[in-house]
Amino acid sequence: MIDYNLLAQALPQLIIAAGKTLAIAFLSASIGFIGGTIIALLQMNANKLLNAFLMLYVTIIRGTPMLLQIMFMYIMLPQLGINISSFATAVLAIGLNSCAYISQVIRSGIKSVDKGQIEAAKCLGIKKFDLICHIILPQAFIVTIPVLLNELITLIKDSSLASLLGVIELFKRGEIIISYTHDAILIYLCIGLIYLILTSSLTLLVNSIETRINNYVGN
Amino acid sequence: MLEIKNLSKKFGNKNSEGKIVLDNVSFTVKKGEIALLLGPSGVGKSTLLRILNNLESYDAGRLVLDSLNLEDYKLKYKHATGIIFQQFNLFDNMSVEKNITFALEKAAHIRPKEAREIAGKLLQKFGLETKAEFPVKRLSGGQKQRLAIARSIALKPLIICFDEPTSALDPYLKSFVAQTIQELANEEYIVLVATHDVSLIEKLRCIVYLMDQGKIIESSSSAEFLAHPDQYPLIKNFVKGISANENTEI
Repeated sequence: MIDYNLLAQALPQLIIAAGKTLAIAFLSASIGFIGGTIIALLQMNANKLLNAFLMLYVTIIRGTPMLLQIMFMYIMLPQLGINISSFATAVLAIGLNSCAYISQVIRSGIKSVDKGQIEAAKCLGIKKFDLICHIILPQAFIVTIPVLLNELITLIKDSSLASLLGVIELFKRGEIIISYTHDAILIYLCIGLIYLILTSSLTLLVNSIETRINNYVGN
Repeated sequence: MLEIKNLSKKFGNKNSEGKIVLDNVSFTVKKGEIALLLGPSGVGKSTLLRILNNLESYDAGRLVLDSLNLEDYKLKYKHATGIIFQQFNLFDNMSVEKNITFALEKAAHIRPKEAREIAGKLLQKFGLETKAEFPVKRLSGGQKQRLAIARSIALKPLIICFDEPTSALDPYLKSFVAQTIQELANEEYIVLVATHDVSLIEKLRCIVYLMDQGKIIESSSSAEFLAHPDQYPLIKNFVKGISANENTEI
């Protein structure tokens, strides 16, 4: 039997906590997007040493669990004298993880830009900064938008790992509610449903954008 | 006047046996002249144009424009050369007009309003005024080429290079492009055309330089060749579809 009273009490709390889940995902995605773009651009021109360092970073991040990275950062940052909130630590850790993945997505987008356009810009005397900002990145982004939005969907789900640091996001709020109501099935179902609504909405957006991009590229 | 003096270029390691793409090439092109670099693929025609446009380096020789080293000329006047690529290489994310104004604003530092005026005149000249706001992907091959020419001459270079300008065009458009190239020469541009399209010999008033294995193996003005083809057996045979290399071995 569904306890409608519990549902009526829990749902508003879960929906408010979902706001924090979205905040973690969007902030991490922003760090990932900006950092990933910088890494991808550096990899375009980096000297061998810098390139090796960046590849090492990407390899370590992609080759270890995000949970480990979050815990490592949670323990390491205070050791380095950096004292930030659990929420900020989680955002930073998830964002830096996202950097590694997004950098490779944007790198492949940059590689997809026709080399001829870069040569044309060079012949016309267009500076590298303008070439990157006005020709390379806009075209790289347009082909990578669906993948970047998929990364955001992944981050919404990954944000639940922030609960390990005590951040009261959707999953943690659910666990708190369970701890005093003991109706785990109903609350977990509600949490799952909210995650599903969030990710499905974004999936619909991705599909719509993908169709538009295919039309644009086709034209 | 553009003077190309003993230009040599080898692909691969300088110390090892790389592929020689340009071997002691020398010729001059005056203002208002067209140099037609003729030959099959891989003989160094496009490489020569790419060297002129700073897209490739060279191993030996000199490039002189109006008594100045081309590199010095470019430092002094910036836009000495322009190139229209075989694939046009337009900026796909920009509109037709923006393809022209972007280069004017960013490379020549011309104000946006003035850049738009210049672009407007050029689009009118090349019959693209109704397409100004179109994305370049919606243009036909011929329209793309006209836009590429407009974009290149917007910066007022002294030298304009065409890399295989007729390879992707139908016969009608070939004639149109040839007419445009001739008009640019009439406007006192120094024009270099790399092509294997022998029909351009008839369509242009040009100096034909037949190239093979990185060397110029025969040259003639188009008028002279058309009047006395037998005096230029290598060009004649190339026109007939026999490669110059095979001819020398016969």
